[in-house]
Amino acid sequence: MADFKESGFMYAIAAAIIGFVLVQSIFFFVRAWRHGKKIGMSTKVLKNTVTSSALFTIAPAIAILTTVVVLSSSLGIVLPWIRLTVVGNLQYEATAAQSAMDAFKGTEDAVPFGQNITNPTVFTAVTWVMTLGVIIYLVLVPLFLKTVQNKIGKVTANKDGENKFGDIISAATFIGLIAAFIGNALAGKAATIVKDGVEQKTGMGAGVMSVAVLVTSTVLVIVLQKLCQKYKWDKFEPFVMPLSMFAGLGMAVLLYTVLPESISMLEWRP
Amino acid sequence: MKKTIETTPYIEKTHFWGRLFSWVAFAMLMMVPIAVMLHLDTRPSFQQVFDGFKGVALIFWTAAVLEIAVYAPMLGTGASYLSFVTGNTTNMKLPCVLSARESANTKPGTDEDEVVTTIAVATSTIVTTIILAVGVLAMGPFISKITAPGSPLAPAFNQVLPALFGALGAGYFAKHWRISALPIIVAVIVLIFSPSIGTGTLIPVCVVVSILGAYVMYISGFLTGGVKPENPLKKKK
Repeated sequence: MADFKESGFMYAIAAAIIGFVLVQSIFFFVRAWRHGKKIGMSTKVLKNTVTSSALFTIAPAIAILTTVVVLSSSLGIVLPWIRLTVVGNLQYEATAAQSAMDAFKGTEDAVPFGQNITNPTVFTAVTWVMTLGVIIYLVLVPLFLKTVQNKIGKVTANKDGENKFGDIISAATFIGLIAAFIGNALAGKAATIVKDGVEQKTGMGAGVMSVAVLVTSTVLVIVLQKLCQKYKWDKFEPFVMPLSMFAGLGMAVLLYTVLPESISMLEWRP
Repeated sequence: MKKTIETTPYIEKTHFWGRLFSWVAFAMLMMVPIAVMLHLDTRPSFQQVFDGFKGVALIFWTAAVLEIAVYAPMLGTGASYLSFVTGNTTNMKLPCVLSARESANTKPGTDEDEVVTTIAVATSTIVTTIILAVGVLAMGPFISKITAPGSPLAPAFNQVLPALFGALGAGYFAKHWRISALPIIVAVIVLIFSPSIGTGTLIPVCVVVSILGAYVMYISGFLTGGVKPENPLKKKK
């Protein structure tokens, strides 16, 4: 029997889901663009938003693609592709698949995470668990998003431009979010998954590499933004953050190539 | 209808379309396991699914509530509806929104901000969908080679988040350095004593600490050149 996980039927489901996601995105994009023009926003601002968002997306999208590839060893390529296209998240999908497969432990259908699932019942159970784990977003968002934005947004957002307190709280919210990731780069441990019965790291913990990357991208943004202001490089400004992010990633490759592995891959939080 | 905050007609209409698309997404997503079950002509028992589900339900569902409460006000209306349907909010959609807002210099809650943030998330979703589709269909083996341990590019793929949030944080840290240090220090301390804490839990902790810290610094005059402003939470509307 051909691999049921990568059959034409599975590809047809993927096509339907991907088609829906694209239609929704294009609809919101066109609607926002038209409204932007209607209220007098310049095409330059709108185009800059598109460019910088596209550039910002490339590296994380490739990281997501690697998750699809990792999960495909158990689930085939199509289910992880579907799951990471709708509500998907790097860590959730691996955890959900793992939990669903663990439920079969001790039975003759048991498959350790990482090995190919050949039993359709196990595969169907995994599909259910991966779906039910994230479906809550699609219930909570349509029911409560408006209330949440009205209530919490009242504190964090401000419209009048003169509310200094509102500005500060708004900035503090973003800084809190970013601080969690900065903290991880400075002192976080690598996430782990249990694959083939063995606990494995799925990335790197804090160490030389994470700090070098963090410092490179942070410092470069500050330097380039100052240069843009000083020399009025208006057209270059939207590229500053995405370029600095790529420079940070380039620094990782450079350190790995130039320094001995014992230094470049040193992790103080392995 | 009673409104707690003034919203524009454009944002009101966005809620209508967002809800509609969310319910359609709900139906489509639920159809995936049902279709697979019917096509493969197999039915896992309720217990088998429930045993797998209970392992993730508490973490996932709590994280969902927290994520929506914390991120929805940051993202904006259209961007929230798009982002929560397509996922990867923290590692992808939010950075795009913050960067777009910073570049366009718009304020949350305004139509201009709605336009910019919606375009940012829609663009990000379209680009991701294309990269995933091309990657899965044409470049699966190639991608696994460049990201495999031992490839010279592999270290870069392990450092996407520090690169992303370093670049994003720079602007905020330069502008608001007084309120930036506290949440970072708290994040590091929490990670030292509780290394297995997930980022999903750490984020709300840091956001609360950052807001409380900023509030205390504000009312003590530390952010306003030593002049103590009136406590905004005690002020009458």
